[in-house]
Amino acid sequence: MRRLGAGIVSLAAFLVAWKLVTVIGGYPEYILPAPEVVAERALRAIGSGVLWEHTAVTLLEIILGFAVGAGAAILTGIALGKSVLIERVLSPYIVAAQAVPILALAPLLDIWFGGGLLARVVICALIVFFPIAIATMVGIRAADPLLAEMLRSLGADAAQRTRLLEVPSALPVIFGGLRVGVTLAVIGAVVAEWAGASSGLGVLINIANQGLFDTPLMFVALATLAIIGLAFYGLVVMVERRLVVQ
Amino acid sequence: MLSSRLIVALLAIALVACQPPAASETEPALRQVTLVLGFRPDVQFAPFYVAQQEGFYADAGLEVEIEHHQAPDVQRLVADGQAEFGVADATDVMIARTAGIPIRYVSTLYQSFPVALIGDTADVPAEPSGLAGRSIGTPGRFGSSWHALLALLDAGGLTEDDVTIREYPTFNQVDGLTNGDVELVTGFRNNEPLRLEARGMEVGLLTVDEVAPLPGPGMIVGDELLEADPELVRAFAQATAAAQAAVIDDTDLGFAAAEVAVPTIGEEPEVARAVLEATVELWAGEGFADGAIDLALWESGYETMERLGFIDGSVSLDEMVAPSVLGDAARSADSTS
Repeated sequence: MRRLGAGIVSLAAFLVAWKLVTVIGGYPEYILPAPEVVAERALRAIGSGVLWEHTAVTLLEIILGFAVGAGAAILTGIALGKSVLIERVLSPYIVAAQAVPILALAPLLDIWFGGGLLARVVICALIVFFPIAIATMVGIRAADPLLAEMLRSLGADAAQRTRLLEVPSALPVIFGGLRVGVTLAVIGAVVAEWAGASSGLGVLINIANQGLFDTPLMFVALATLAIIGLAFYGLVVMVERRLVVQ
Repeated sequence: MLSSRLIVALLAIALVACQPPAASETEPALRQVTLVLGFRPDVQFAPFYVAQQEGFYADAGLEVEIEHHQAPDVQRLVADGQAEFGVADATDVMIARTAGIPIRYVSTLYQSFPVALIGDTADVPAEPSGLAGRSIGTPGRFGSSWHALLALLDAGGLTEDDVTIREYPTFNQVDGLTNGDVELVTGFRNNEPLRLEARGMEVGLLTVDEVAPLPGPGMIVGDELLEADPELVRAFAQATAAAQAAVIDDTDLGFAAAEVAVPTIGEEPEVARAVLEATVELWAGEGFADGAIDLALWESGYETMERLGFIDGSVSLDEMVAPSVLGDAARSADSTS
């Protein structure tokens, strides 16, 4: 209850500060709309169905991109953590891929994967991949060597040691990566839409900004993305609390 | 041996001699203004570079700083007074003004609408009605490319549901065309066709000018500046129009100025020169390139934009254009005949 109260106070303070900036700065609506203007625009966008139409597309991209990216990252992270050889072979490529600005690569990925949902999921998954893979690798390596030795002496094979010791002990670190990854999935979906899409919140931002000159609508799309990011982050934390022994 | 007094005197003379020459008190100070362009430095902006480098602006009492921003920022920066002048698509001006952004279109740069549908000659229909069932690549559902595409479809009795649209928000629709992902793309007549021809394609065009005329890009200013200082706006527009006329007369002059202002021009100088020559044709239109506004064209474009749902008619044409800046010599039957 106290946490909820703190959240409400924080949100109220943010809205007041935002309103003050618009009043003191004297910004016109097309530069920085006031919170009540954005709220009114949000109601209209919800009423017309426009907001949901675009939000549903982005949600699907985030869920699929995160699932694919996180799944691949955890498997790769386990392999990297368990095998020095695999790490030596794959690490340079993984790090180099992370260093390449995905914004530059996204238009090409869109063409390579034929546009559509598949291309957007791939772009989103690529953005999600790195922090989760590295967190998993670090977590796997941090398993207690004495416990590993004990399992070995009890005859546990590599797969059993991974399942019974390394993955469970790595969970707190893996979830650290998942927390970062899920917020990156939101960015990934928007980047993917900016590379080529007909709908989605990234497209709505472009239409509002470049097509309609509707700055309040652009803020509605941005606020929706922020809410989605917070919701998915909260979901990951909730799952973490259930799975990880504190 | 030189005495110390003589050394001090020589040093004093040397110091005085090293002082920069004082500005002539009779020389009027230039007024500093900013021009924002919605694209990276490019040869198509040659009139501005010529006006800046060849003294057209200085003769008008102006020192112009050119800034390059993203296209949709131009309207906002100009409306907010962060820049005095900008270049924007006329169709975007209609939408921005309707959305409450206080800007006015004050002079025409392109007498012909620069966007066209582009493709292999065999794929480009002779009439807009032939677009039914085609796949078309465009940057997105915004901007002059989108307006031109919908205007063409409308002229052919079609809607976007009658074609397959693929979006390329990073403006790489030409890659989609050469890759075979789409049959046609929207693009600028002074750019994409030349690059496609360089790749060996026999390029065909379907333009809006004959079937669904729309006004082309031009100069915009904020309402506040236009009201407060119309002479400044006039001086800038006239100097730009004069520089543009100079480039139309002598493209070498424009190319030389662009070579100074565009860092990448040396990479493909032949293409850049071809782009400039194609751009000059779009500026001149039907031999009318003094910056004046063709109000009849604006009225027709306004009706088209309203019919397509881009504007709702709540803001009148008078509030969007200011033809009085360069005189009321809007295109008349006499000047085009």
